[in-house]
Amino acid sequence: MYKFNFIYELKSLVRNGWIQLLTLLLFALFFFAFYNGQEKVEKRKSDIQAAHTEVKESDRDMLKLLDSVERGMTVTASRWTIPSKPMAVGNYHPRVAAMDPGNLAFVATGQSDLFTHYVKPKTSGDDLALNFTEITNPVQQLFGSFDPAFVIIFLLPLIIIAFTYNVLSSEKESGTLRLLASQPISVAAWVLQKMAIRLFWVILMIVVILTMVFYIHIDGASFGSIIPVIGITIGYALFWFALAFVVNLWVGSSSKNAIALIGLWLLFALLVPSLLNQMGSTLYPMPSRTLMINQLRTAKAEATKKQDQILDNFLRDHPEYAINDPNQGRSFYHRYMASQQLVREELQPVVQRFEEQLQKQQQWISQLKWVSPAIIVQQELNTLAGTSTRDYESYRKQVIDFAETWRQHLMPFLYNNQPFASADYKNLPAFEYAPLNSNTTAKTILVLIVIAMGIVGLGFAKGIGFQSSKGILTH
Amino acid sequence: MIQNTFKKELKELSRDGRVRISFLLVILLMAVATWISKNQYSATNEQYKEAETAERHIWEGQGEKNPHSAAHYGTYAFKPKYPLSLIDHGVDKFTGTSIFLEAHKRNEAQFSKAADQTGLARFGDLTPDFVLLFILPLLIVFLGYNAFTKEREMGTLVLLKSQGTSVWKLILGKWLAIFAPVFISLFLLFVVAGIVLSNLKDFGIFSWESLGVLFLVYIGYYIIFINLVLFISSKVKKSGISLVLSLSAWILACLAVPKAASNIAESQYPYPTRQEFAASINKDQKNGIDGHDPWNKQAKLLENKVLKEHNVDSLEQLPFNFDAYRMQKGEEHTAEIYFKHYNHLKTQFEQQSSLYRNLAVLSPFLPARFMSMAIANTDYATHWDFADAAEIYRVELQAFLNGNFAENSTYGEWSYRADESTWKNMPAFEYDPPELSETLGRNTSNLVVLMVWILVSFSLLFFTTKKL
Amino acid sequence: MITTDNLTKKYGETLVLDNLNLNIKAGHIYCLLGANGAGKTTTINLLLGFIKPTSGSAFINGLAVSENPKMTKKHLAYIPENLMLYPNLSAVENLHYFSGIGGNNLEKAQLEAYLEEAGLQASAYHQRISTFSKGMRQKVGIALALAKNAGVLLLDEPTSGLDPKASNEFGLLLQKLGNKGVAILMATHDLFRAKEIATHIGIMKNGQLKQEFVADKITLAELEHAYLQTMDYKELAV
Repeated sequence: MYKFNFIYELKSLVRNGWIQLLTLLLFALFFFAFYNGQEKVEKRKSDIQAAHTEVKESDRDMLKLLDSVERGMTVTASRWTIPSKPMAVGNYHPRVAAMDPGNLAFVATGQSDLFTHYVKPKTSGDDLALNFTEITNPVQQLFGSFDPAFVIIFLLPLIIIAFTYNVLSSEKESGTLRLLASQPISVAAWVLQKMAIRLFWVILMIVVILTMVFYIHIDGASFGSIIPVIGITIGYALFWFALAFVVNLWVGSSSKNAIALIGLWLLFALLVPSLLNQMGSTLYPMPSRTLMINQLRTAKAEATKKQDQILDNFLRDHPEYAINDPNQGRSFYHRYMASQQLVREELQPVVQRFEEQLQKQQQWISQLKWVSPAIIVQQELNTLAGTSTRDYESYRKQVIDFAETWRQHLMPFLYNNQPFASADYKNLPAFEYAPLNSNTTAKTILVLIVIAMGIVGLGFAKGIGFQSSKGILTH
Repeated sequence: MIQNTFKKELKELSRDGRVRISFLLVILLMAVATWISKNQYSATNEQYKEAETAERHIWEGQGEKNPHSAAHYGTYAFKPKYPLSLIDHGVDKFTGTSIFLEAHKRNEAQFSKAADQTGLARFGDLTPDFVLLFILPLLIVFLGYNAFTKEREMGTLVLLKSQGTSVWKLILGKWLAIFAPVFISLFLLFVVAGIVLSNLKDFGIFSWESLGVLFLVYIGYYIIFINLVLFISSKVKKSGISLVLSLSAWILACLAVPKAASNIAESQYPYPTRQEFAASINKDQKNGIDGHDPWNKQAKLLENKVLKEHNVDSLEQLPFNFDAYRMQKGEEHTAEIYFKHYNHLKTQFEQQSSLYRNLAVLSPFLPARFMSMAIANTDYATHWDFADAAEIYRVELQAFLNGNFAENSTYGEWSYRADESTWKNMPAFEYDPPELSETLGRNTSNLVVLMVWILVSFSLLFFTTKKL
Repeated sequence: MITTDNLTKKYGETLVLDNLNLNIKAGHIYCLLGANGAGKTTTINLLLGFIKPTSGSAFINGLAVSENPKMTKKHLAYIPENLMLYPNLSAVENLHYFSGIGGNNLEKAQLEAYLEEAGLQASAYHQRISTFSKGMRQKVGIALALAKNAGVLLLDEPTSGLDPKASNEFGLLLQKLGNKGVAILMATHDLFRAKEIATHIGIMKNGQLKQEFVADKITLAELEHAYLQTMDYKELAV
């Protein structure tokens, strides 16, 4: 039976143009999406590259200046920007802390359109002044990006629905069903086979497209890196095929099937995610940023008033810096850095709450994402692409750590009143982004397959139209 | 005849269980979305009021201080939420809500809601605009996809035609049967929203007029969908095919085209990154606005000019503090640099907007979306307006502080402290969003595109469907 | 061989088939007459296993339908009132497909031979079904029965909508099958065709089998009289 179904279904699909349309559609959508994704990644890469180049150039100037200063020549630059002053190095020659895109960054835009991919933390300024958001036209963020993740999560199910909604009902409507049912076969199994043929074609196309994409877009990585994406996509396709299978068995006319399937799509891809999001932010509400500003302002005002006292306290806590202090004039920066340190410490818990709430929301989603495969796939693709909320959170943390390293590296120069020399240049710390690793993909794929199998099993158990009492065969 | 068809269609629709259920679901969704929105709106505005008062308090209570220290200490401009954001949240989620106003620097609005949300938020929020812009057109598809195909499938079309009625009357009857329930439910919804809004405390500048225009925009948007769905139904033989085609149109208009447009706009007219933007401003500050005439050179010229004007030969002899005076001139110079760079951003933004308008040929969603956001004062243009107002206030603030500094101290007198009461003399930042007429004026092209869509779809439906 | 044993079907409280007992032997052509709603199609649906009987059982070649739904279908062929096939496949392809999914893989020559035996003109073998008339489609249905080598043939109003010549041709075909030993059950409104080809005739009303005749022992006029009487129809005096 399988062989016949396969050959004739394929013949039928080719003759009425379905296969051609599907293939064309998949190719066009995926390649457009990959092109868009790749374009974003290229821009990201070139922005980061430009930033590195700029720093390299400014470093060259800095070394030139240092060299002149060390040789006792007069320099034309403003007094406070001369790099022999450690704070000038810290503020005017910051390092680039960049988040380089991973191999699969083009797969999902994720949160990448919200955040910047490199910052240059300075010694002055608090961590809150590090703005991690990007300037963009918010309309782009509102509409979202036509990236592969969009095609996979939203359009692929719709294509599958269009391709399968009437597998059984069209037989009924065109009158072939009664003749079929009089053959010694199980109709459920027969529908499943017709589904399987479509599934086979979709999977084949996905594999072909992604393999082509791999050879076009990814260089220098093993083929293994694209396999998780293929796996997730197939798992998700499987889920929608399974749904279409039971809807075909249970619902009835073509239009009813289509409405039922679109309803499910709406539910899984739009309503459940937004409801979960709503619930997450109600359960773990973000503290108000506007009110945070008030707290920040008060803390700063306090600190400014007491700067001298703070510096004294600071030097008491850090005797290593105090050694050289008495005979030196306390400069603006001595007081400033010390009070900044205090403000940072004081605001730490306030800032921490935002991260904590975000983590709690993230956790809430991780627990409930199983409600909708669309969420599972979105989270997984973002993770694979390195553009998930977690990735940016981790990047922020790494940058803030690096900012601290940067400060701590230059602080001794400041408090020991030791000039920064060209010999110290090579010891300046550099930022290296450590991407998060994830190993949940295999589990996710497995879960998707199990869900799909469960649905198919349910279809078989309940049978056609809940056993012909609803009369798909007799009416 | 029109009336007969209208009544018969309404009866058929109201007796169809699926239609009843989907109508009920849409209304339920709408209610939930509005309720969530209302709570959010109240909470946000409370926080806004609190923050604004607190900030003013902090500003006024600075005590004795050098005006320039106060300038560095700065103040904040907070962006309020406007009543109609209850209906359309627009881009509010993605734009910052507070701008730090300090000396020497124009800052971007900070702290967008989206940056504090998880990736799940990118699926979209359950807001009234989501229901109005996405779900209701889908409901229209479900209401109308089989308007003609079912007659064809059941064989009643032949009977109808044999009654000798003209085709356009039949179409109009069916059209009205879909339009009426949509119109009535939307009307009730907007009336309820209007009542809720005008009863909210501190509802700000809510106007029934804007709500009315918003209502018309949505009605226009739905008319386009009704026309398209009926057109497809009249041209296709089977209900299933008609449904799939209508759905494809919906997907294209509401999902695919906006997203593709966003990608095209982004790559055609890119914004610089935040760091690039800052770097190029820095460069201009270092080298002068047009690559020549850097500030230190201009400052030297200014010095000579002022000395000559007052007929004195040293800065100490001037009747005001030249440091403050020069700072004010520098401030003006910097503002000019910012103006230039923000104008560049604005050009990019305007070009992106015109690209969206051009692509509206493919999707009536785009003009409807932009109109709706604009009327609700939640669009990007309003955000720009707010940021510009904040910048004007910043420049005024600096002029006020530098003026105080210049008048009350002498050259080199950095130890000068302004009186505690000084800070109260600077009025608080206030911002009123653009009026409805201004918004409409700015969005004429979107209105025109929407009108063209309505006309074209009407003529498609009525003039190309001579025979059924 | 078709047998039913007190076959009964109720939909809720409505009795649509009431203790039907049929026994159609190999080679018999049994025509079931009756008005719409008499229970003819229900009988066929029960024999096909499309619906489950409320009580009683149906047998195909001695096998209970409800217990061996797949096996019984191997032995029967069915031609619905309006036989539909895949429009964009040819006659040979349709035949190949339908016999194939039942596990019967046939060569092209064999397929053509069956179509020939069913009386389809050779030029139509490789044409798409979408160009076929009802009569031609039914010939493909007969070819399918032949290919299946089915011992039982169930037909539901096969001659409705056929022109007299096609109807006649179809009747001859059925007789040929009957002569080969196929047990045939045919539900029909066509008294004339029934008298023409049947070996046995039954008249149903309200789910009950009211009368049975051996076709040879009755004239067409007698049959019509009996039918109308069963229907409570008062004949106009001539």
